[in-house]
Amino acid sequence: MKRKIMLATSIIAVSIMSFAFTGIPQTKPWPVPDKDAKMANPVKADKESISGGKALWSLHCASCHGKTGVGDGSKAAQLKTQPQDLTTKAMQSQSDGSLFYKISEGREDMPSFKKKIPDPDDIWSVVNYMRTLKK
Amino acid sequence: MKKPITSSLPISGLTKACLLVILSCSLGTVMAQDTTANHSVVKKTSYVKNTFDGNFIIDNQTVMVPVKGTFEFDIQHRFGTVNNGFTDLFGIFSGATMKLGFSYTPVNNLQLGFDATNENMQVDWNLKFALLKQTKDGSTPVSITYFGNLAMDTRKKDSTNLFVNVSDRLSYFSQIIIARKFSDKFSLQISPSVSAFNNPAGYLNVYGTQMPQWTGAHFSISASGRYKISDGSSLIANYDQPLSQQPGGNTPRPNISFGIEFRTSGHDFEIFFGNYSSLLQQNNNLYNINDVAKGQFLIGFNISRLWNF
Repeated sequence: MKRKIMLATSIIAVSIMSFAFTGIPQTKPWPVPDKDAKMANPVKADKESISGGKALWSLHCASCHGKTGVGDGSKAAQLKTQPQDLTTKAMQSQSDGSLFYKISEGREDMPSFKKKIPDPDDIWSVVNYMRTLKK
Repeated sequence: MKKPITSSLPISGLTKACLLVILSCSLGTVMAQDTTANHSVVKKTSYVKNTFDGNFIIDNQTVMVPVKGTFEFDIQHRFGTVNNGFTDLFGIFSGATMKLGFSYTPVNNLQLGFDATNENMQVDWNLKFALLKQTKDGSTPVSITYFGNLAMDTRKKDSTNLFVNVSDRLSYFSQIIIARKFSDKFSLQISPSVSAFNNPAGYLNVYGTQMPQWTGAHFSISASGRYKISDGSSLIANYDQPLSQQPGGNTPRPNISFGIEFRTSGHDFEIFFGNYSSLLQQNNNLYNINDVAKGQFLIGFNISRLWNF
């Protein structure tokens, strides 16, 4: 009898743990088409571009990604997917073209910004600003 | 009682001169842009962006026209004057003028809108068109936008109003907005305007003669400024000056308003103090009785929600 109770308890515990772990949002790979990933950034990362990118970042991105890009924005807790830390080496190793593609197209919680930021040069400026977030 | 809008305007010579100079300057700049259009084919023209944060700056339209495909929903309130203090919580509980607005930008540089306000149950159809945009290289130093509306008083006909024909219910507002972004933080705009009512109120004098209380058309000018204090917030201010003189001491009072604006990706929120209590420009420009000198200020707010399609 004791054995049966222990077995049942173990099964319930394992089930709860497996449910608990599946509840943690996993970051899915975000494939970027090759031609987009290889796209060169036509906007020079000068003072004007970075300043413009910073203003757009504050307006459109900071509420989720946080002021410094670590993913601690005021809306981050309400999202299904935790925004990734954009200051890390892994994130910063992505090409400018990949970041441009992801900002433009969006995915799930992350909206597409190609209509909100209609000038592609402005999106490139956001990419230039994102490079300054690197730790 | 009906007074045609073509009646002579009691407008001073100095005012006429000012308006002529402003309109001549703006037309001159428009023509100058046309003549250089061929050169811009070679080099991509780079326009100054975000001269203001939204469509409104307190009581006025800004020079901004949203990007193509933007749908905007606006909620505006103007509460009572603050003079009664805590009796009506500085006007907030004394009733409010409200307006709901909807606008859409079907093509670049053109916005079409429809509004409804509880003041005389007026509705209006409006149009905003960007005529000229300030360039980064300074070749075009200002942005110029036209804004106009046609409003209709939709109250039921009764003894308190004077509607004989549908046209008696109509009023119009036309404005040229000339703006310059001086730096990332500071922008300024000057907006001469004309307001016209088909059937402004009148009265019969002791001899039984019909006398106008207001003329059918009225000129005004406004100056509005923004100073950004952070990427998402700005200090904003307006000054509106009536130019036309109205008969019998009915010349409207000028307006001073100032407040703060917050902008997010999909919202624009402004809260402010000012003298104007109406939400249609023509009503404010012709009928404002709140006096700066008497401290007749009120609290108001504008909320805009934007969607991009």
